[in-house]
Amino acid sequence: MKCITCGDEAVKGKVVGACGCEAVIAVGAHVELVATDLVDPVEIGDVLLCHAGIAIRKVAP
Amino acid sequence: MRFVDEYRDPELARTLARELAELVEPGSVFHLMEVCGGHTHAIYKHGIMDLLPPEVDLVHGPGCPVCVMPLGRVDDALFLARQPDVLFTTFADMMRVPGSKETLLDARARGADVRMVYSPLDALELARRNPDRQVVFYAIGFETTTPSTAITLLRAQAEGIANFSVFCNHVTIEPPLRAILDAPDVRLDGLVGPGHVSTVIGSDAYRFVAEEYGRPVVVSGFEPLDILQSIHMLVRQLVEGRAEVENQYTRAVSPEGNARALAAIAETMELRESFEWRGLGALPRSGLRLREAFAGFDAELRWELPHADVPDAKACQCGQVLRGALKPWECKVFATACTPERPLGTCMVSSEGACAAAYLYGREHVGVPA
Repeated sequence: MKCITCGDEAVKGKVVGACGCEAVIAVGAHVELVATDLVDPVEIGDVLLCHAGIAIRKVAP
Repeated sequence: MRFVDEYRDPELARTLARELAELVEPGSVFHLMEVCGGHTHAIYKHGIMDLLPPEVDLVHGPGCPVCVMPLGRVDDALFLARQPDVLFTTFADMMRVPGSKETLLDARARGADVRMVYSPLDALELARRNPDRQVVFYAIGFETTTPSTAITLLRAQAEGIANFSVFCNHVTIEPPLRAILDAPDVRLDGLVGPGHVSTVIGSDAYRFVAEEYGRPVVVSGFEPLDILQSIHMLVRQLVEGRAEVENQYTRAVSPEGNARALAAIAETMELRESFEWRGLGALPRSGLRLREAFAGFDAELRWELPHADVPDAKACQCGQVLRGALKPWECKVFATACTPERPLGTCMVSSEGACAAAYLYGREHVGVPA
């Protein structure tokens, strides 16, 4: 089993909800809450590259 | 799945492999190091080595944060986890990393309160919910992971959460690269640069490799075609006699990186004078500790840790594997005394470890029975 947080590989997720410095992203079949302090304001539909619960970059959809 | 399929197209992969074979000259071998453990995993998983001509030799690098953690720091984590008032939080793989006597999983079985978290923010939430406990987060990782710890510290400070602390083991990518490029027993012609570390630090961070060591770097994504294309770009540079930093992974990496992430790290952490690495020894200014303004959150100040200098198990050759001096299957205990189920060394624990990747996906290439 792969532990993505121990590694240095981030995951991409599409924003399905956003409020303040937090967003809910959909990654495959599940959703997770991530902090968005380190990226420009996010909107629903944005794709975020996230690692260990933090978005580190917006990427092209 | 369309997005992923585009980066796994077999026909495109075959075309790239053909072009690569035409690019190299028979007999002249290029030794290329994939620095990041995520790349190592992808290379084995997708069988990329099978697509390369014999003139391209891939060497696995030190970019697995679990693997480079020395035994003494693992023992320090176990010491913290055993404290009676401590609720110890860690990423999943660190649970199974052997200390000199046991793993965190063993410690939990003996009664220590050790919990797996996905993010340091989850550890902070545990601190909010358990004000009568001391919640410690076992922070490991390169620059991809460090921003999450930095943001967590900033939030903890803003909220004045007094029962939260961080056992900081974050490391930086430049010093181990310098150590490997300086090593007399490892010959490298070029580097496949880390993808998501570079999202944070930017591709310009590797200019020293080209300018001071005269070796090319190509920052790469993690899909099979990303890696194949990056190898192609590296080989093209070598054939043309160039040594530049190129960015294959432009969809996620900019030359300057993420300025906000770098600022958050700089606000909360500073370089230690020296940090011990498994396989590489003590490297100056290669590890991070919390800044004085965050001393109240520093587990190393809150508890007196043993900080013992513990040598690796004699049979374990993780150190040489991490420096690229030994292929995983050349280790004398690979797939015999050391397996993912019962790992002796860190490289067999993490899925990003070169030994675990070779064990899971590559054994048929090396003559080890599956």
